Amino acid sequence: MKRMFKDTSPRIVFVGLCAVCVALAGGYVVLKRGAAPAAGLDLPVATEIGVVAERPALLFSSAAFDRTNGFLGLVPLHAERPNRYRTELRCDRVHFANGVGLCLAASRGVITTFTAQVFGQDFRVRHSLPLKGVPSRARVSPDGRYGAVTVFVSGDSYSAGNFSTRTTLIDMSTGKAIADLEEFAVTRQGQSFKAIDFNFWGVTFGHDSNQFFATLGTGAVTYLIQGDVADRSARTLREGVECPSLSPDGRRIVFKKRVGTSSWRLHVLDMDALADTPLAETRSVDDQVEWLDDRSIAYGLPATESGGGGSDIWTMTLERDAPRMLISHAYSPVRLDR
Amino acid sequence: MYTIDWVRIFTRPSATSRRRISRVVWCLGITSFFTDVSSEMVSSILPIYLVSYLHLSPVAFGAIDGLYQGFAAIARLAGGFLADRWRNHKAVAAFGYALSALCRVGLLAGHAWSLVAATIAIDRTGKGIRTAPRDALISLSTDRRDLASAFGLHRSLDAAGAMLGPLVAFVLLSLTHGSFDAIFVVSFCAAVIGVGVIVLFVDGSSKALDASGRASFGATFGLLRIPVFRNLCVAGSALSLATISDSFIFLTLQRNVDFGVQYFPLLYVGVAACNSMFSVPIGHLADRHGRWRTFLAGHVMLLLVYGVMTGAHGNLALLVVLLLSGLYYAATDGVLAASASAELPQHLTGSGLALIATLTNTGRLLGSILFGAVWQWLGLKPAVTLFATGLIASLALAGMLRPSRVK
Repeated sequence: MKRMFKDTSPRIVFVGLCAVCVALAGGYVVLKRGAAPAAGLDLPVATEIGVVAERPALLFSSAAFDRTNGFLGLVPLHAERPNRYRTELRCDRVHFANGVGLCLAASRGVITTFTAQVFGQDFRVRHSLPLKGVPSRARVSPDGRYGAVTVFVSGDSYSAGNFSTRTTLIDMSTGKAIADLEEFAVTRQGQSFKAIDFNFWGVTFGHDSNQFFATLGTGAVTYLIQGDVADRSARTLREGVECPSLSPDGRRIVFKKRVGTSSWRLHVLDMDALADTPLAETRSVDDQVEWLDDRSIAYGLPATESGGGGSDIWTMTLERDAPRMLISHAYSPVRLDR
Repeated sequence: MYTIDWVRIFTRPSATSRRRISRVVWCLGITSFFTDVSSEMVSSILPIYLVSYLHLSPVAFGAIDGLYQGFAAIARLAGGFLADRWRNHKAVAAFGYALSALCRVGLLAGHAWSLVAATIAIDRTGKGIRTAPRDALISLSTDRRDLASAFGLHRSLDAAGAMLGPLVAFVLLSLTHGSFDAIFVVSFCAAVIGVGVIVLFVDGSSKALDASGRASFGATFGLLRIPVFRNLCVAGSALSLATISDSFIFLTLQRNVDFGVQYFPLLYVGVAACNSMFSVPIGHLADRHGRWRTFLAGHVMLLLVYGVMTGAHGNLALLVVLLLSGLYYAATDGVLAASASAELPQHLTGSGLALIATLTNTGRLLGSILFGAVWQWLGLKPAVTLFATGLIASLALAGMLRPSRVK
């Protein structure tokens, strides 16, 4: 290097290098700060969930790599030329039922903090609850009474390659936590069942809100559990079920079944026979699916065009027809039917 | 405390042979400072970038983290060995710094999962490659009586960078409406300045070293026949096995003092701040009153951390743990490198430093896995008790092995 700059002193080269670097860094920051890129901001803004009159409609979190990233979007499902709307509520994960929404949001700072926010039809936050980890799953019971939040509790996750989760139930009318699933009394085949490494994730509520299903992980085993909110208890139903999602008619559960160290295949479970069948989607799905009706589901998949970063929402029916993309650059689908 | 003598750094060394920290050490410290600002900016936002922006599963990320650790260990040994073999520590270290700088461009290039994973792997490899040759340069350009002071100064600047990185990232995020690209661009520029300092200002003429021998694999492992170096390796490994990692210490504190895991990055910043503040004075103490004694005293600080983290509650306990952890790092990391390099023949300095660093890092990794497992099986108290007992035993062993030549 020195020989290359035989006639130039290293000091002058260094001053030049610093000038270029400072100009590049400073220029880029000024560019990002001043002329805020308008990409994505030309979408109409929805300030009310009723702005989209058609039903069913889909609520989602935008995964576009533009200024809408992370903000909720709204789109009618069956319109001929669907208009996509954006909102001014930012959520990593969202769910909505009976006029009440649950939004898991990150606020980026020196310390990134996470909150669960209860919002209404107008996308205004009514209650806010701090979370102790990275948001993973959100569910609201069909009547809007309870919410369930799963977060990854990082910190002890990387030394042994496993992870730890925490699932909290929320009273949606007050925004207060009412229970942590770790406090529930669990039984397996009638016997009390307890271990220090219990992890709960992926709650789905039954029609009366009091009944719910979820995943209990301990050691290398994942159980499907059926729980009772009022009774603060749960029992195991069978093994090998993660992130269950109960169909609107309550007859089936679609879940992800582990088929490799970090790959899952969607399966459907018949609630009477407790027997499962693989679905037509052959790609690995790491999501808690959303039912669009009693025969079809929607779920997020890594975006194909950007090579696995970002997300698109896909849909398929239980009839083993090929999955198709429902909305590109979107994440965390929620069906709205009222 | 040192003040930065800019004129001296950027001018040719004068002929005065007063014992003071050489320009090479200052320049390497400044390179590390900029590189750490650059890398900590990115690591502080990486989890949120991966999970919230790219929607990648944290489980997949955790699974390959272990693999990266393996990469880094191999790269470290190779870096130290090749630098000795080619008698060019500067070139190998600069290559490692440049590799990490290039990774920032990788993060800007796209959103593909494979691309992100590859850039992280290359970044860790670059870090592995540069560590031993850089420490060898510090050692080779310092009078043996001042080694701990020199390493202390380097580690102080290094930790200062680690402390500033997350803060710079935060300021940038709020200035740019949360633009991750802006962070990657600024991080790249900081890394380039770091590379510029080592390339332009560090005198890399290690070829003038004693030509007594040539680095080879046999010679590298033959270093273990040097009694004092072997004792350092044995004692260092034993102590590192009984070390509870920061993340577990913070996790334990989290149970006693109620705060969320999201505050962990702030705790790392606190430890880095203490480390940066204490490294220089502790380095001086070590040179004056004995490096080995200082190294062991550092581990006594760690033992105190174990006591405070299980026994005490409240924010005061948190502050005391941050302070003690900072002291522990300041009294061990650079001091061990100083003690080891004082025993090594010049032509094998890089290989020897890589060897002892790999041993202690592997020890810490195994210790972490063991601690996690015991915590799961038996609970927190038995795990801490086991590690405290292990640390006391290792301290006793280290005391017995006290290398006579190391003051």
